Amino acid sequence: MTVGTEQSAIETWGEEFRRVSDEDPELQGHGEYYSCSYLMDMEEHEIQVVMHKGKVEEILIDPGPLDKRYQFELKASADTWRKFGEEVPPPMYHGIWSASFQRDLSLEGDLLILMQNLRCFTRQFELLRKTGVPV
Amino acid sequence: MAEFSPVTGRYVTIDVMGDEIKVFFLENGEGQPLVCQHTAGCHNHQWRDLLEDEDITSNYRVIAYDLVHHGKSDPPKNREWWQEEYTLTADYYVAFINAFCDALGLEDPIFMGSSFGGQVALQLAYRHPDRYKAVIPVEAADYSPGFYLDWWRHPHANAAQVCASGVWDLMAPQSPDKDRWATWFYYTQGSEAFKGDLYFYSVDHDLRGKLEEIDGERCPVIILTGEYDYLTTPEDSKRTADQIKGAEFIEMEGIGHFPMSENYPVFKGYLEQALQKIGERAKTTTVS
Repeated sequence: MTVGTEQSAIETWGEEFRRVSDEDPELQGHGEYYSCSYLMDMEEHEIQVVMHKGKVEEILIDPGPLDKRYQFELKASADTWRKFGEEVPPPMYHGIWSASFQRDLSLEGDLLILMQNLRCFTRQFELLRKTGVPV
Repeated sequence: MAEFSPVTGRYVTIDVMGDEIKVFFLENGEGQPLVCQHTAGCHNHQWRDLLEDEDITSNYRVIAYDLVHHGKSDPPKNREWWQEEYTLTADYYVAFINAFCDALGLEDPIFMGSSFGGQVALQLAYRHPDRYKAVIPVEAADYSPGFYLDWWRHPHANAAQVCASGVWDLMAPQSPDKDRWATWFYYTQGSEAFKGDLYFYSVDHDLRGKLEEIDGERCPVIILTGEYDYLTTPEDSKRTADQIKGAEFIEMEGIGHFPMSENYPVFKGYLEQALQKIGERAKTTTVS
């Protein structure tokens, strides 16, 4: 795969994650106040997601230093992210708490924002089981 | 269409270390008493499917109570409980369970609890092996640090959602949505008690170095733990069982930390194994 096609594939993934999020009944049913920004550090790629009132405002793939404007971050190896993206994740890869307690996921930044948005964020994180992950 | 459940609810007022507590409990069935403790920050509806399972209730009197400060069991009636922070200790927890079983006149009950209920099951086997016929600690270990956190009632976050979604991935992803969401719903109701419960779960409950004093032949100990439990892992429970004389450990596949509530049909198979083992132990004891 060339650099160009890889970039195209990851951008396609970004659009799919946006579509699945914006069309998800649970997220739309409870996301009226779901506004925050977060970074998923997948080792091989970084994905910045900006949410506004339950809708995806922006997804940035590998944002540059000046574009990184997120409130909290989830950081883990690419292998861990690949397991997050399985339809039925194996034990300890089935959530951010299981993986941060027992595997290599670290939660960084302003975690109060994460806790204030925990219900909707948890749902959106689990949508990775539908879209897979771009690593 | 009206359909009545065979499960009935009652209140009983008991004394626990000077506290006057009106305890709410659900029950159904006849035979060997099987007393069930819910998990931290929750209530007895976690046992809803067991309570209505005729395969079990035809031989067992299943009793599921709400611990004080949970569900329909109000805080102590004779004390200004609101003046202090709620923190559950092992001494108080054990005294509550003994007082409840005494009030109902239960002889040789089997005690089963999950999570902090599993931890107290180990405490009962350690402290009162002659009071209980057997214990079934579910998702339990000698020590489980790490969950006594301020997040459970941080005033800048929605505590109900933090508690409910904070324990969401203690459940297995393949457990049915309707049962995981019922469990989530219960967890939105107990946030004020959750942190205080976890004082017992992660701090005061510490049987490290004491497990060898538990006689699992005198009071059989059958530990059940789900493979998706990240808080008390199967390895933690096995390590615990290995140190208790006569104890047994069964790992439950495809299920998490709230097995009776998140996926009862799967849990039932393992529970029946545990009950069978207890029955076999009782026969052996009678014969010898």
